[in-house]
Amino acid sequence: MESFFARYRNYLVLLTILVAQMIGLAVQVRRTGAGRSSLGMQDGEGVRLIRLWANTLVSPPERFVHSSRMLVAGLWQNYFDLRHTRAENQQLQQTIDRLRLEQAALLEDARQGQRLEGLMGFQQKYLYGTQAAQIFGTGGSNLSRVLYIDKGSADKLERDMAVITPDGIVGKVREVLGRHSAQVLAINDQNSGAGVILETTRIRGILRGNADGRLQIVDLLADKRIQPGEKVLTAGGDQIFPRGLPVGEVEKVVNDPDRDGFIKIMVRPAAHLDRLDEVLVITSMQPRFSPQEQNDLATSEALKGAEAASLDEQRKASTIMAERLPGLTDPNAPPKPVDPNAPQPSLLVVAPAKPLKPIHPDRFSPGAAPAAQASAPAGDKPKAQAEKASSPTSRATNQADSDAGAQPAPGSPDSEPKPQRHP
Amino acid sequence: MARVGAISRHDMEVRRYPFLVYGLVPLAALVLQAWLPRVVGRYAWFDLPLVVTVYFALGRRSPIQGTIMGAVLGLFEDALTGNAIGINGIAKTVCGFLAASVGIRVDVENSAIRIMLNFALSLLSSAIYLFVYRFLLGMSLEWSWMTQLYIAIGNSILAFFVFPLLDRLKLRD
Repeated sequence: MESFFARYRNYLVLLTILVAQMIGLAVQVRRTGAGRSSLGMQDGEGVRLIRLWANTLVSPPERFVHSSRMLVAGLWQNYFDLRHTRAENQQLQQTIDRLRLEQAALLEDARQGQRLEGLMGFQQKYLYGTQAAQIFGTGGSNLSRVLYIDKGSADKLERDMAVITPDGIVGKVREVLGRHSAQVLAINDQNSGAGVILETTRIRGILRGNADGRLQIVDLLADKRIQPGEKVLTAGGDQIFPRGLPVGEVEKVVNDPDRDGFIKIMVRPAAHLDRLDEVLVITSMQPRFSPQEQNDLATSEALKGAEAASLDEQRKASTIMAERLPGLTDPNAPPKPVDPNAPQPSLLVVAPAKPLKPIHPDRFSPGAAPAAQASAPAGDKPKAQAEKASSPTSRATNQADSDAGAQPAPGSPDSEPKPQRHP
Repeated sequence: MARVGAISRHDMEVRRYPFLVYGLVPLAALVLQAWLPRVVGRYAWFDLPLVVTVYFALGRRSPIQGTIMGAVLGLFEDALTGNAIGINGIAKTVCGFLAASVGIRVDVENSAIRIMLNFALSLLSSAIYLFVYRFLLGMSLEWSWMTQLYIAIGNSILAFFVFPLLDRLKLRD
């Protein structure tokens, strides 16, 4: 027995190590409901421990190497390579001033839009809480695109927080490994996924990386409207990336070799995923303004007040100029005589509109028919008129009305003009 | 000319290194593997931990030591990525074992053999990785053999320069 172990010692060690690793793999992989295998959403305690060990071992020297490189690069850029710096500085300062004003104006618009959306009860997420972080390392494998950043639990980073640059999205926090270290899964990793939308055609899809680390949108039906150059934005449905962030642009459209009728869209990333130095981690989606933005807003309001004052000054100046310059009115002309009987404009009372007097009034003319008659039923009307004509009271009333100058009843015999007899 | 299958006393000599070298060189390989992609970008077509594994396996001529070295470096490499821990471990364990087994039988001082061995073991490592990922674990993985070919070439070139440097670290009698 001893000779067996001695003879096959090498193979036994190999077999033991291989079996141990296979068991470890079997623990990590889970079977999904669709019958496919995948890694768990979150690492187990044992796996996380191994990752922490590896990170603890590799990160410090990696940071040291990174810092050394940055130090050398900084020395070169800040002390030796300073040609044209002053001119560039002036130009950049002008650009900053201009952008600050533009930003202040945009913030004002954003605030207004935010208020309106709040009124509508629209659940819109804004990316105002960000944390700048520096990348100091990678996963070191072409088959797994992960990055390491120098911010961690001390900076309140959590899993699944979006990582972006001003150019576009980068990935999401996969694991917070320490107080000052976190692992970021880049969007060009094969296990990554982000909901995206094409800007013009509004076609939605899932973005992920391929074997070469390039971005692609998969599981799309063929559509001739999709053209190279179209911009790709985040769709906001994945609960990680806020809506509308730039992702990249369509590079080309290729047929999916595995499925007929489906296409893959190759996307050129907006962020330089291979050469990233600093990133922003979105730590809070709550709408709020930073102190800098508040200052910009105040600057904007002050500028607006100054602009209004300037407009007033201009208006006054134009009035003075109009008085001094010769115009259509002659300042030396005698004043117009004022009519003392003419009503003052402010005292004019607008009379209520009265209907014109009809040329040929009848019983339908306004004020001709009494209320009782007007309200009588249609069938009783001739009878009522006959009674009215025969009634002495009504005759007397008509006569009195006629004498008083009242409007005669239209259609009545009294209303007819009587011919005058000449002797 | 390389003497394949030579079993001279010189070839069978086991190289010895200062104790720190066994710790620092693999650590440096891991650190550089994690850091260099930031410098060279998408052209990071190399696998330094594999090169170091092959070097020590060839030099020590011990399959057990090659196996353990490959397993440790592979596991650490996996731990730094987002993938399951053990895939690279299995691949490099096998590579370390094979490199040590071959090192007993061939003249490892010859640069051509070193380069060819690195090239072949790099492709084998990729094939084992693919096998474990797709067939053993049943997970989907997009694969580019062209990229793996570039990595194998990169490892061979790297070995050509790194092996003589590491040879300087060995203890002289």
